[in-house]
Amino acid sequence: MKKDENFSAALAAATCALLGSAVATPVRAQEETGKWSFDSTLLYYGESDDRVRDISGAVSAQRDFGDDRKLSATLTADTLTGASASGAIALGRPQTFTSPSGRAVYTTNPGDVPLDDTFLDTRFALNASWTQPLARLYTFSAGVGFSTEYDYTHLGANLSLARDFNKRNTTLSAGLAWSQDDIDPVGGLPLPLSQMRDVGDGSSKRDGSESKDVLDLLLGFTQVLNRTTVLRVNFSYSDSSGYLNDPYKILSVVDPLTGDTLIRTPLGQGPNGVYVFESRPDSRTKQSLYAEVKHAFGKPVMHFAYRFMTDDWGIDSHTGEVRLRWPLGADSYIEPQLRYYTQSAADFYRASLVSGAALPRYASADFRLGDFDATTVGIKYGHSTVSGNEWSIRAEYYQQNGSVPREQIIGNQANREQYPDLSAVIVQFGYRFSL
Amino acid sequence: MKKIVPALVLLALTGCAGVQPWERDVLARPEMSLDTAPLDAAIDEHIYFSKEASSGGRGFGGGGCGCN
Repeated sequence: MKKDENFSAALAAATCALLGSAVATPVRAQEETGKWSFDSTLLYYGESDDRVRDISGAVSAQRDFGDDRKLSATLTADTLTGASASGAIALGRPQTFTSPSGRAVYTTNPGDVPLDDTFLDTRFALNASWTQPLARLYTFSAGVGFSTEYDYTHLGANLSLARDFNKRNTTLSAGLAWSQDDIDPVGGLPLPLSQMRDVGDGSSKRDGSESKDVLDLLLGFTQVLNRTTVLRVNFSYSDSSGYLNDPYKILSVVDPLTGDTLIRTPLGQGPNGVYVFESRPDSRTKQSLYAEVKHAFGKPVMHFAYRFMTDDWGIDSHTGEVRLRWPLGADSYIEPQLRYYTQSAADFYRASLVSGAALPRYASADFRLGDFDATTVGIKYGHSTVSGNEWSIRAEYYQQNGSVPREQIIGNQANREQYPDLSAVIVQFGYRFSL
Repeated sequence: MKKIVPALVLLALTGCAGVQPWERDVLARPEMSLDTAPLDAAIDEHIYFSKEASSGGRGFGGGGCGCN
C-alpha cells in the first residue's frame, strides 16, 4: 500500500472514530425465521452490610417474521429488600428517624451511617419492540415500555431509524425516546427542605403524586473498520423535567462548630435530631458520548467501551469497560470483565446543612450525587449445548468508594465515616433456547 | 463545529468501505455482534442506573424505576 493510501485509511478510521449508532448494526447474529427464540436470566444482587438485595428474573422472546421483520418482548420481575443510605450523617450517639410511612421509627447505632431499612419493593417491567426494513438500506424500529412498582409507574415509547451505507459497512441512525414516570411516595410527598416530623405529624408532607418527563435523543454511527473490527459511536442528549427528588432522602442539620446533628426532642415517637428532606432542581439535561470497539484476535474477541457524560447539575462522569471473550474448545467460552466508573459531585451535593447558615435552594446528601468511583470485576462462562442452546453464569463484584469534599467536613465529622462506601456481589444465570 | 461535522460524515461515508460482503466471515460470528448479550446489558444498565448518576449512552437512557 502506498503512503497516501495509508494516510487516507488512517484519516478515514480517525473520522469514523469521531462520529456517532443506536439501532441497526451492520453485523448481527442470524436468527432462524419463523421460530421463537428465548433469552432468560435469573439475577442475584446483594450489597454488603444487609443493604439492598435484589432477586430478579427476566425472559426475552424474539421472533423473526422473515424479511428482517422482528418482534422482541421482555418481561422482568424484581424483588427488592434491605436498607438504603438515607443521606443523614453518622454520629457518636444513637439516631432515631421517622420511617417514610410516617407511622414508625427506626434507630441507627452510634458510628454507623444511617440506613433506612424499611425498603421493600416488587417491580414488574414489560418492554416490546418491532423492527423492520422501511426501504432498501433503511431500518425502522419502534418500542414501548411499561413498569410498575409500589410507589412508581413508568410509561415510555421510542422510535429509531437507521440507514446503511458503503455496502452496509456504515450505519447512521437517529432515535427518539419519551417517557413519563409517576411517583407516589409511601407516606406522602415531602416538602423540599422541610423538617422530618414525629410519627403521626404529616405537616411536612402533602398527599398526591408527582411526575417526571424524560426526552432522549440518540444519534448513532456504526462502522466496520476492517474484517475483524467494528466501531460504534453514539451521542445522546437527555432532558428530564418534573419531580426529580428522591422522596426518601434526607440531610442532617448540624452545629457549625462541632459538626454534630442538632438535638431535637420528640413529643412522642419521632426523630431525635434535626433532619430535612432533600431538594433538587426540577430539570436536568445530560449529554453523553459513547464509543465501543469490537475486535477479533483470531478466535478471542475483545470489547472495549468508553462513555463520557456531563450534565447541568455539575456531574461529569467517565466509564470504561473491557471484556475479553476467550473460547475454551468448540462449545464454551470464558469472558473476564472489568469496568471502571468515576463521577464528580453535583453542585448541590451537601454532606450536611449547617445550622444558622442561609438555606440553599437545592441540597441533597444522596451518595449517588457525590464524588465517587466504582470498579466492577467479573467473569462469565458460557456453554453451547448439542441442540444449539446456550447457558451461562456470570459473577461480578462491585465496589464504590466515595469521599466528601474536605471543605464540607465540619468538627467531629472528620473522625467518622462520612461516605457510605458500597460493595455488592452479582451472580447471574442465563439460558438461551429456541422453540 | 457546524462545518466540521458534515465534512467528517462525508469523509466517513466515502472512506470506510473496506470490507466486501464475501469478507464478512469474522464479522458474522454471533460474538462479533454489538448486541451479543442484550439481557446482560439491560441488567447492567438497571444496576448502574440505580447506583450511579449516569445512565444511557449505549442506548436510550434507562430508568423507569424509583430505585433507591
